[in-house]
Amino acid sequence: MASEENIIETHGLVKRYGKLTAVNNLSLRVPRGAIYGFVGPNGAGKTTTMRILTTLITPTAGEAFVARYSVTQNPREVRRAIGYMPDFFGVYDDMKVWEYLDFFAACYEIPERDRPRLVADLLALVDLTHRRDDMVEKLSRGMKQRLSLARTLAHDPEVLILDEPASGLDPRARIEIRELLVEMARMGKTIFFSSHILADVAEICTHLGIIESGQMVAQGTVEEIRRQLMPTRQITVTLLDRIDEAKEAMMHIEGVTGIEDLPEERGRKRIRVDFAGDDSGVTLLLQALSSRGIPVVNFSEETRDLEAVFMRATKGIVS
Amino acid sequence: MAQDIVAEESIAVPRRKPLRLILDNPVVLKELRGRMRGARAFTVLTVYLLLLGAFSSLIYVAVAESAMSVSGQVNIGQIGRTLFAGVVAIEMLLVSFIAPAFTAGAISGEREHQTYDLLRTTLLPARSLVLGKLLAAILYVLLLLLAAIPLQSIAFFFGGVAETEVILSFVILLATALLFSTIGIYFSTRTRRTLSASVLTYATATFVTFGLPIIVGSLVVVFGMSLSGVQSPRTEMVLLYALGLVLCTNPAATALLTQYVLINQRTIGVFSYTLSSGEKITLISPWIPFTILYVLLTIVFFFLSVRRAKAVEE
Repeated sequence: MASEENIIETHGLVKRYGKLTAVNNLSLRVPRGAIYGFVGPNGAGKTTTMRILTTLITPTAGEAFVARYSVTQNPREVRRAIGYMPDFFGVYDDMKVWEYLDFFAACYEIPERDRPRLVADLLALVDLTHRRDDMVEKLSRGMKQRLSLARTLAHDPEVLILDEPASGLDPRARIEIRELLVEMARMGKTIFFSSHILADVAEICTHLGIIESGQMVAQGTVEEIRRQLMPTRQITVTLLDRIDEAKEAMMHIEGVTGIEDLPEERGRKRIRVDFAGDDSGVTLLLQALSSRGIPVVNFSEETRDLEAVFMRATKGIVS
Repeated sequence: MAQDIVAEESIAVPRRKPLRLILDNPVVLKELRGRMRGARAFTVLTVYLLLLGAFSSLIYVAVAESAMSVSGQVNIGQIGRTLFAGVVAIEMLLVSFIAPAFTAGAISGEREHQTYDLLRTTLLPARSLVLGKLLAAILYVLLLLLAAIPLQSIAFFFGGVAETEVILSFVILLATALLFSTIGIYFSTRTRRTLSASVLTYATATFVTFGLPIIVGSLVVVFGMSLSGVQSPRTEMVLLYALGLVLCTNPAATALLTQYVLINQRTIGVFSYTLSSGEKITLISPWIPFTILYVLLTIVFFFLSVRRAKAVEE
């Protein structure tokens, strides 16, 4: 059922709570080795999906596979393959930092004699060696989050499933977490993480899944999603004059789907060209203008950042 | 070369010593580390022993006074027995209410700390989680019971009490602690909040320790009066067995009756009892059915708890 190269795969996943459908026919494909950003507004069904993948809840319908094991048929194998970090930090009172990791390592059946070294390695990885003997509850939020990440690695899982790993952190801690995620991807882990802030995701992701109202809006590599959601490029041309002539010149070039006027900026006239061609097509546009001697002040392609993609993909509806 | 192979084999075969069973359970280790850290464990133990000590002193003063005043002769054995019974009674009260206090938060506390989901995504089986919580609670109760043995033993100075009674009281107390702890865990798996688990557990403990004797006592008074005239040996026997069985659900009644049987029948096992008709029937010292009942109930509640802890949210 589940294919080789996808480490997480769901087929028509549905989760209903009474009348509320939290996840609706969701098909997820996370390739091995990817950093997969699972993005959607709050309440879109991200946490529910993750709780199904981590064997915490059973789906109403559909199937989910992690590392080729079914989450309902082989939950134990799935648990061995995943490291899960929920969107909250579970704190134990009366527990030191090293004891916290030692305890979870023991829960993952790591023999007692291997644990001191493992704990030391994990603490070094998340840069918490100096807080080894402090109480867990005394740590700052960012440190707790790093400790949580260290915990997810205790049993050397193939996939990390991280629910909102950067939420509620200050900018510095946010960057630290992001760097850790990249580091873990370098260690060969597949990272599947959720966020409602696209900026967190954009810089490190190789793959994206956009979810809204329990449904997958778009999924694929970051580039695929850009193309899928924004099939046309937008080129802004700033002219001194002869604006109608310029429009006329570009209108007939193949790939141009629309031209509209933009408001004037400091006396300069601007038009936006929607263009569905490749780079060589773009050069043709510029040539068409210059061959007619139309003076061009500026000719630039708007960077289609993911935020724009996101805004376009999701309508902000949260069921 | 040969040595290498031997070494490998010894690693492959897991050691099954009982102590390893406790220490290899990550939950026991974690719970005990947390519980014994700081001043709390020490404080509980100290307060417990102070209470127990103060109470024993009170009993001694009261009993010594009355024992002397009876015809000027001192019944030292009576002092020892009363002192012992007093210490066991207060221990029973403490154990009945301390043991569930440790376990009522076992699972619901993990939910409240939001660590339950973390535990459930590890490889830790629900069975080990429940067992670990239970063992950690029982080990601490065991510490309380052991710490009280010197106080119980003061009774030896006065005589009237033998080791048999000390051991039997220990068995009854431990069985009580076992069942009440397990009931605490059971309610903890059923409720979202520790508070409701505690309330339910204490309600159950109070009913078993106080409510049941009161109900049985009133029933005996009512029925005893109406039946005392007209009674066939068969009804008397059935009533006696029924009453005995009900009394065996209560730790205090069991302890008292066991001591009564020990003193009057000189046995901790089977003895015969003469009915009013002269017919003889066989009875068992109550601690035996009590312990069997409590251990069985413990096993039942343990498996119910494991089933609840294992359940995946729908």
